[in-house]
Amino acid sequence: MTVFIFAGDMLVMLFMIGLVMWVTTKDGKEVGQDNARIPLEDD
Amino acid sequence: MSQNGQEIYHDRVVTRLIQFSLVWVVVAMAVGVFLAAEFIWPGLDFGQFWLSFGRIRPLHTNGIIFGFGVSALMATGFYSVQRTSHIPLFMPKLAWFCCYAWQLVVLLGGLSLLAGWTSSKEYAEFEWPFDIAIAIIWVCFGIVFFGTIANRRIRPIYVSNWFYGGLIIVIAMLHIVNNLAIPVTIGKSYSLYAGAQDAVVQWWYGHNAVGFLLTGGFLGMMYYFLPKQSGQPIWSYRLSVVSFWAFTYSYIWAGPHHLHYNSIPEWVQSLAMVMSLILLAPSWASMINGIMTVSKAWEKLRTDPALKFIVMSLAFYGLATFEGPMMAIRSVNVVSHFTDWTIGHVHSGALGWNAMITYGTFYYLVPKLVGCELYSKKMANMHFWLALAGTMLYILSMWAAGVSQGLLWLSVDEFGQLSFSFREIMAAMSSYYGLRLIAGLIFFVGTLLMGWNLFMTMRGQKTIEVIPGPVAEKYRINSKPESADDHIGTGVPA
Repeated sequence: MTVFIFAGDMLVMLFMIGLVMWVTTKDGKEVGQDNARIPLEDD
Repeated sequence: MSQNGQEIYHDRVVTRLIQFSLVWVVVAMAVGVFLAAEFIWPGLDFGQFWLSFGRIRPLHTNGIIFGFGVSALMATGFYSVQRTSHIPLFMPKLAWFCCYAWQLVVLLGGLSLLAGWTSSKEYAEFEWPFDIAIAIIWVCFGIVFFGTIANRRIRPIYVSNWFYGGLIIVIAMLHIVNNLAIPVTIGKSYSLYAGAQDAVVQWWYGHNAVGFLLTGGFLGMMYYFLPKQSGQPIWSYRLSVVSFWAFTYSYIWAGPHHLHYNSIPEWVQSLAMVMSLILLAPSWASMINGIMTVSKAWEKLRTDPALKFIVMSLAFYGLATFEGPMMAIRSVNVVSHFTDWTIGHVHSGALGWNAMITYGTFYYLVPKLVGCELYSKKMANMHFWLALAGTMLYILSMWAAGVSQGLLWLSVDEFGQLSFSFREIMAAMSSYYGLRLIAGLIFFVGTLLMGWNLFMTMRGQKTIEVIPGPVAEKYRINSKPESADDHIGTGVPA
């Protein structure tokens, strides 16, 4: 059971690392800069 | 809709939630001060069960977390999701239902705690009728929030909405799973879980309630109101998104660190310890992002009390999120667990982070909602120093008390017997408890000043009507972002 849970943990970990890398690399810097300005341009 | 048929933001519900939040913080904090006094004068309960520590302690915690905290999160969530979506709230009547029904549940739930109804689960003491009501209201909160996002007129979902969304989804899951119980009477139920399983589920709930409500929810507040107040965009939007996902993933594992050296598997304790240490990275990512955001507007800190509160709250957020992982290390936990160090840690978060960021946000938001200047800036500055002094004194007194308790309890003589009895150790704590009472009073006086200041600001004023602003071309739903695909900068397809 412990090995099964550990293997599951590692798969989830792999998924999260992939997700974070995808989020980090997918958009250009300009998109992030634009999104960061949303609260400043909503009035 | 306004009287002339124009579409307007539903801000009256925001104002009302802030008013309720202010009432709760005064009431629940007064109860906290009374509790601190009971540590020095135990006879203060006058022999009344409903005034005993065991009954009013959960009233204090539930009043602060659910009365003050959740009302503030609903208010700021409703305010910011409308602006960042450029559309009024989805189903505004449901938002009003959430507003009033929530206050009623916390009020009746609080009275039931005084009457002795309790599930005896920390931060989940309300009995099953209130648990069901909370679940229904929470789902309604989610419908209003996610309905507004679904109808948004702007392509990206701003990062604060991710944190508020995480709060709504995860708290619903935690609340329902942890409170599964078999009712036996209207005021009594038995948990569906037993023994160590019950403990693991409870701390999976307890720690993640801290994580997704008191941390994630208030980070949502920070990511919207800090840029507004400082006039600067978030320093690194990418870092905010990465920290959201890393935070969400790491936090959910860390609960069993509350059960170190208990009868749960050792690997579960080790896993919780490791994940708690990993949690430091996303927590500090948000703190650094916040501090760096203000770094281009330091001069405002001299004059703006709201910004002072928000920036100071980030410092305490950094302190608490460093201390938490350290306390999750088992060799540190052997000293800190069951001592007042934990109380100091919790209040560095509750007073320094949650209360201060909310106070800063209210000082910004209330004048904006009613369309006039803050009644007294001088009073707000005075409040800042009282809040800072009260928080520091509280934390330092509880650190000193907690470390003393931990070391004294571990002290054994040459025969392996405890060197000091529990009674002797507690008797040595009276001066620290005196300092804690003074600290609580100082913080409470500051809170009363804010209550008066904001009451005078709102007195005789109506919530102003605000029309949704135009959406810039670059944010429009049908416009293409500058990158190659149609994805938004938040990690999900639009």
